[in-house]
Amino acid sequence: MTITSTPDTRAIDADEVASGLTSFDERQANVLNYLAYLGIVSALALSVNFIATGANPLDALPGMTILVAVSIAGLQMTKLIPLKIPSVAWISLLAIVITIPGVPGSAWVTEAVGKMSFLALATPVLAYAGLALTETEFRIARTAGWKLVIVAICVMLGTYLGSVAIADLSLRIAG
Amino acid sequence: MTGKTALLALHLTVLAIVIVSELIGIHRFQTSIATITILPILYAFALGIALNPHFGLTARFLDDKAVRFAGLMIGVAIMPFIAKFGTTVGPQLQKIVDAGPALLLQEIGNLGTIAIAFPVAVYLLKMGREAIGATYSIDREPNLAIIANRFGLSSPEGAGALGVYAVGTLIGTFVFAIVPPLVYALDWFDLRALAMSCGVGSGTMLAACTGSLTTLVPDEKDSILALAAASNILTYATGLYLSLFVALPLTEWLYSKARPETRAKREQP
Repeated sequence: MTITSTPDTRAIDADEVASGLTSFDERQANVLNYLAYLGIVSALALSVNFIATGANPLDALPGMTILVAVSIAGLQMTKLIPLKIPSVAWISLLAIVITIPGVPGSAWVTEAVGKMSFLALATPVLAYAGLALTETEFRIARTAGWKLVIVAICVMLGTYLGSVAIADLSLRIAG
Repeated sequence: MTGKTALLALHLTVLAIVIVSELIGIHRFQTSIATITILPILYAFALGIALNPHFGLTARFLDDKAVRFAGLMIGVAIMPFIAKFGTTVGPQLQKIVDAGPALLLQEIGNLGTIAIAFPVAVYLLKMGREAIGATYSIDREPNLAIIANRFGLSSPEGAGALGVYAVGTLIGTFVFAIVPPLVYALDWFDLRALAMSCGVGSGTMLAACTGSLTTLVPDEKDSILALAAASNILTYATGLYLSLFVALPLTEWLYSKARPETRAKREQP
């Protein structure tokens, strides 16, 4: 999607914002770059996993390798399949398919990735997320004012609770 | 300082952060209402913010480029995390299929933001058109793109959406770590409902939400993760359309009802 900027005198400049937000075009980088970056992430995740669960990094390595392979495959699918679906969706679907009981090797895959704690995989994400906050984001958050802070909390609460309420109701009706 | 050194410094900073966060470990606080768990991911995020060059401490070796690269690394690091989430679904497929109707319908529950945040913004805080962008959705990247397309980011609607986006980026992880255990403590809702609603926001919100729920109810870990993963995938598939074709028109319509020109004039003292 393109960002349409209207010429006016407001403090927020659309182009500056668009380039200042923590997002990136996942189609730009090539597979080798991704492999290198995923290698760094793997090293971080295996270290975290070792401290958090005591699992020997060598035992957890096959599981981590599978997760990296699924990530790369999902990225390739994003490039090859002309649908506007983000790569994380393909990665999810692929990960589901290879762990469905009955699919060849699914038991082994499930056991191998079971050695990686999902929270160990999340810790590096959050560390990068804190470091990735840009000056633009700090500035918007600072100038947003207390009203938008209250609204933002209401938005998060409303989205979560609305979803919980409807899910709960559906589960009760469907049994 | 060359670019390569700054990038190395970035990864080493992250390594230091994750090691310190994991060594602090999981902490539980028993309050009269609920058990609050503070997970290492929250320390990692807080330390990441504290060590952001914005605050000066690391400005000597982390430059603007490193900050941008960290943004790219979020996108990379989230991939194996999402893959791990997916692998929890396969073995639980029957349970997911059984919960299918609830999974699909809870997407509609995302409109709850309009029910709660819109009245607060418009009636309580007397906000203008900012309220439309701010409250129509949880304002993550796809929702931001919709607002950018429709109004431009420099419009009032854009400012509202960007504000909620930025505030959500800063505190969303903490909100999604604290709220689910509190709701669980109420004992009103099915745990499966709490789990599948973890998928409504960003990846980091998903991590915080499922992290706190699985720490609270470790016996149900597998089904919590599988349901959250399934709902997260649905959000990718349907979330954009729901906010584009339902949430945004609905919010605009509500705003036109709440603030017709005439009534706005009559309300002037």
